[in-house]
Amino acid sequence: MRRRPGIGGLQTAAAARDQYRLLGENVAKIRTDLMTEQLATFRSQLEEFARKHKNDIRKNPAFRSQFHEMCAKVGVDPLASNKGFWAELLGIGDFYYELGVQIVDICLATRPHNGGLINLQELCNLLCQRRKSAREAVSEDDCLRAISKLKVLGSGFEVISVGKKKLVRSVPTELNKDHNEILELAQAQGFVTVEEVERRLTWSSGRAIDALETLLKEGLAMIDDGHRDGKRRYWFPCVSSLSSSVGVDSLKI
Amino acid sequence: MAGNYLPAVELTGSGRPVFLPGEIECSLLSSVDLESEENLNFPRFKSGLLILTTHRLLWLPDTAATTTTTTTYAAVAVPLAAIIHIFSPKKSLKSMFATPRVRFQVSVSPDGRVAENLGSGSKSMVITLVMRGKNDCDAFLSKFWEAWRGRAWESQASGSTGGESRDGSTVGGVRTAMMAGVSGILRKEQEMWESTDKSLQEAFQDLNALMSKAKEMVMLAEKMRLKLLSGSNIQTSATNDEEMGSKQEMQDWLLSVGIASPVTKESAGALYHQQLSRQLADFVKIPLERAGGMINLIDIYCLFNRARGTELISPEDLLRACSIWEKFDVPVMLRKFDSGVRVIQNKSHSDEEVFARIKSLVLKPDALRNGISASDAAMILGIAPAMAKEHLLTAESKGMVLH
Repeated sequence: MRRRPGIGGLQTAAAARDQYRLLGENVAKIRTDLMTEQLATFRSQLEEFARKHKNDIRKNPAFRSQFHEMCAKVGVDPLASNKGFWAELLGIGDFYYELGVQIVDICLATRPHNGGLINLQELCNLLCQRRKSAREAVSEDDCLRAISKLKVLGSGFEVISVGKKKLVRSVPTELNKDHNEILELAQAQGFVTVEEVERRLTWSSGRAIDALETLLKEGLAMIDDGHRDGKRRYWFPCVSSLSSSVGVDSLKI
Repeated sequence: MAGNYLPAVELTGSGRPVFLPGEIECSLLSSVDLESEENLNFPRFKSGLLILTTHRLLWLPDTAATTTTTTTYAAVAVPLAAIIHIFSPKKSLKSMFATPRVRFQVSVSPDGRVAENLGSGSKSMVITLVMRGKNDCDAFLSKFWEAWRGRAWESQASGSTGGESRDGSTVGGVRTAMMAGVSGILRKEQEMWESTDKSLQEAFQDLNALMSKAKEMVMLAEKMRLKLLSGSNIQTSATNDEEMGSKQEMQDWLLSVGIASPVTKESAGALYHQQLSRQLADFVKIPLERAGGMINLIDIYCLFNRARGTELISPEDLLRACSIWEKFDVPVMLRKFDSGVRVIQNKSHSDEEVFARIKSLVLKPDALRNGISASDAAMILGIAPAMAKEHLLTAESKGMVLH
């Protein structure tokens, strides 16, 4: 662009400078005032939303779940930090973080019994029992979200699907495909025998025994040799309900 | 005269209405006017007692009131069967301050009497109830609907075979009255459902609006992320330096909105996490001691949050805060094992020291014969069994031991 002399030239130069600045803005330059302004607008919009619907989120698990889904779709994580606007204005942070603490407690308390693998439904039931005095209802969706947050802390917190059920793992034990298949098989009666595993999954006896012994070693299975037919039964507490195998009262949670 | 429009109501000696067979009282209101705005000849029944029954709307004059008017009206009734439609209350700003009114439309026979429309005459009239007393108008209205929809008079007319009538209530009558009640309850539940749905509808609309704003923020954040990741490679003109958001500000911005920010080498993340980091370094001292120098990150999460009580920290907050330790001079560090387990350990609690102790353990005569278990190691080392297991696994990977 040729610089013209005189006032016209000055004006052109100024215009050119402005153009460059605008161009600069498009090239990943973020102005402080823009950032601040946008943030303030967003915050006030969220404040308004909270004023009207904070209670809806607290009381209505279905609405809460929908809220989370939309946040995920948009690309924000309302549970990422306690310092975020979401936690501060909507107050849902504490709800999930505390839920996380309670879930860890329950998993720890039931570990001697189930080896670190617990049925999601059972976990939710125990949670509700423990939270009887709390005003807010807790859904399975809430548990899943709390657990997904706990994942980053290591220690193996994860939700795995076995057949129709969801199991919550709280130990870093790796479960391979073979183990998963045995667990799925065990869902029918709560236990399996070596024979059954061989027959139903068409495995060699070596493969079946190997997988079962690993599960036993990890504490996920218990042996029952007391049957008249002499066949050893491998029981899996994580796929059978707690109340049927062990008295719930004996569990101090 | 009043009797021309509305059928009269028979009263007992003490002034109570005589009920029809099966008729049951549903509601009683005081200080109610009965009038028809469009019909000038309609007498104005002022300030009487309104009784809603399953069959009729009864209006009784208030005998206690001083009758300044020359005419004292007799008790009259509007048969529910004659009602064609009950109007929904008009909720407007004006209506908030005015006396509540309930309006309904009745069919009128050719000679002007309010009666059940038997098909021939198509004339109708609108009657208004003006509720002057301290009455719950909405509650009355719902009972009115319930009674009208219940159509208790029809089952009576069809000759229900009941037992002998005692005080006007037959077995059949009781049944129909109960049915009217049950259907009313069901409808009330449905109305409650519908009103809940509507309020949630509004919530969803607001949620949508909020999310579109959030989407704008995410797009702005994308630019920020590029800036943060590019480092200081972009040429910045001198004048724009002050205008540009500093990286620190951007990190804090992203934190507020709930968008993940890349922690770059130069910066130490959001101010919040920096503060938290120092706080945690102090907090973990005692639990670490108790646990023998090494503790699960998840255990610290629980301990810290339980100690806090409110304004808990998220798992990600904890992880970020601990990750920042390597930038500061603190005696603790974050460590991740191959299994994925994350622990906090004392810097002085080095691996070499632990391996040395394991080695001495393993080299003992009975250990050489039988080996040591994780719980053995745990007892000797004074740490949790899970931790001991991790150590043994690491030692194994280093070729020191076999299992």
